[in-house]
Amino acid sequence: MPESVLTVLKFCFLALLYLFLWRVVRVVIGEMRTPEAPAEGSDARRERRTRRGVRLRILEPPAQQGELYSLGDELTVGRGGGCGIVIVDDHYVSTVHARLFRRGDEVLVEDLGSRNGTFLNGTPVAGATRLRRGDRVQFGQTVAEVVR
Amino acid sequence: MTTPGLTSRRVSELGLGVLAVIIAAFGYLLVQLSQTPDVPPDLWVIFAGVLGLFVLAHFAVRRLAPNADPVLLPLAALLNGLGFVTVARLDPGLGRVQAVWTAVSIVAFILTLALVKRIRTLERYRYTFLFFGMLALLLPLAPGIGKTINGARLWVGIGPVNFQPGEAAKVLLVLFFAAYLVDKRELLASGRRRLGRLRLPEVRHLGPLLLTWGVSILIMVRETDLGQAMLIFALCVVMLYVATDRASYLVVGLFLFLAASAVAYQLFVHVQTRVVTWIDPFRYANDKGYQLVQGLFGFAAGGFAGTGLGLGSPKQIPNVATDFIFSAIGEELGLIGTVAILIAILLFVGAGLRIAMRSERPFSKLFATGLTAIVGLQSFIIIGGVTRTIPLTGVTLPFISYGGSSLLANWVIVALLLRISDDNARGSPARRSQIAARAP
Repeated sequence: MPESVLTVLKFCFLALLYLFLWRVVRVVIGEMRTPEAPAEGSDARRERRTRRGVRLRILEPPAQQGELYSLGDELTVGRGGGCGIVIVDDHYVSTVHARLFRRGDEVLVEDLGSRNGTFLNGTPVAGATRLRRGDRVQFGQTVAEVVR
Repeated sequence: MTTPGLTSRRVSELGLGVLAVIIAAFGYLLVQLSQTPDVPPDLWVIFAGVLGLFVLAHFAVRRLAPNADPVLLPLAALLNGLGFVTVARLDPGLGRVQAVWTAVSIVAFILTLALVKRIRTLERYRYTFLFFGMLALLLPLAPGIGKTINGARLWVGIGPVNFQPGEAAKVLLVLFFAAYLVDKRELLASGRRRLGRLRLPEVRHLGPLLLTWGVSILIMVRETDLGQAMLIFALCVVMLYVATDRASYLVVGLFLFLAASAVAYQLFVHVQTRVVTWIDPFRYANDKGYQLVQGLFGFAAGGFAGTGLGLGSPKQIPNVATDFIFSAIGEELGLIGTVAILIAILLFVGAGLRIAMRSERPFSKLFATGLTAIVGLQSFIIIGGVTRTIPLTGVTLPFISYGGSSLLANWVIVALLLRISDDNARGSPARRSQIAARAP
């Protein structure tokens, strides 16, 4: 193979190399413009997430730590078997202790006359109180965090 | 409805990857054409093989990590492809071995993606990984299976296969550092001891880490592998800094490094050799500086655009397929080619750090940073070494150098980074488990 042809091919090779790098940079720029998670593929999931909305994650006791409960339109908490969140081992929780429910875009918590009360970020809940993400709700000795 | 897993990220990945495969095949063709006028008969085999491997990896990502970063896999494929072309050009026999190792590495890549479903599973077994990491570092010293090659005892031979467990140790140690530092970073960041303007953490919080570091260094010195020792130490410092956001660790790290270097310089002849040949290689051009000088001649012969693939004489450099592969590329593809390699590595590191920045969980963040730092620091150590920016210490150039263990470890790093990236795109792991949790 004559050297001149090889030289031309060499530059073709190098050009291809830079074409590749340029295209990678283009993709990276595209990546930087989409700030978080791509929409594709997770659309359905995201839809489901917004529909189900708020969730409660148990922080205490350690035995139940990490358990997640999603709030439909209403979620009751208590020791009774009919509750949405059944707390078995906590004797400070009443049979039907509290309920969480949705009103418009808001999510509220309400104590249902429990013996030991319901606490939102350490203060007793009186009447229906609005919940925000990151709030800590305590029923008896059970603590849960509001997550989305 | 689109094909499951086929996101726009995956489309970009496929396009870039196919281009990378074409570049590798084109390079292979050029090497052959420089020797004979005919198109080599095995070109299609090579092309199909490389394409097959890439497509396999791509489909694995599509299935197992559909929302992961799109540029990591093609960049790794390009570097691996260029490495294969260069190794095969230097020694066709080594090329065949490297091809087998590439296939093995892709299998390991897919297995890692399949087995590590959630990155936080790894967080739980930190001490197990520390144990295995230490074991991997110690293994070459074991009598019977340990082997010394080129004056460094970092090999383990079982039957006909030799491998370097130290390559796996890096990943395992980064995993341990990440998990450990996530637990302890508050303590480590809130030092009360003062040294001038610097606030230092309590010694006892640093104890296990210093121990890990000390043991690693000790083993490395016993195995006379300075590059690895430097890498592990630098990783340790980088991860401490990232975890605590305290510049004082960088300063302390620098002092520790200088002290260790000074001691090593006094104690070990091979360290002195590295330093004197770094300062004035041409004085020792015929003996201890021979390799470095030949490498520099290679860069000089290559000039701006290189001699062309297969047209230089890089085989004059000892160990050219491993430590000095960058010089071989410099000779045959010139400044343009070597800069392209540097850009590719930078883009890889950028992608890794982007993944780290987008992680919500501290462990993922730190782990991704550490994994990326392995590739980045190792590239710096060896490229800096062969270009005489820093004293030469032998480590492999990630993905490019000949060497199965290194290639395997690097592909596992890519798999882990893609796993973290996929976690990020789907939301935090906590969010994912919410999706999994059913409404009662």
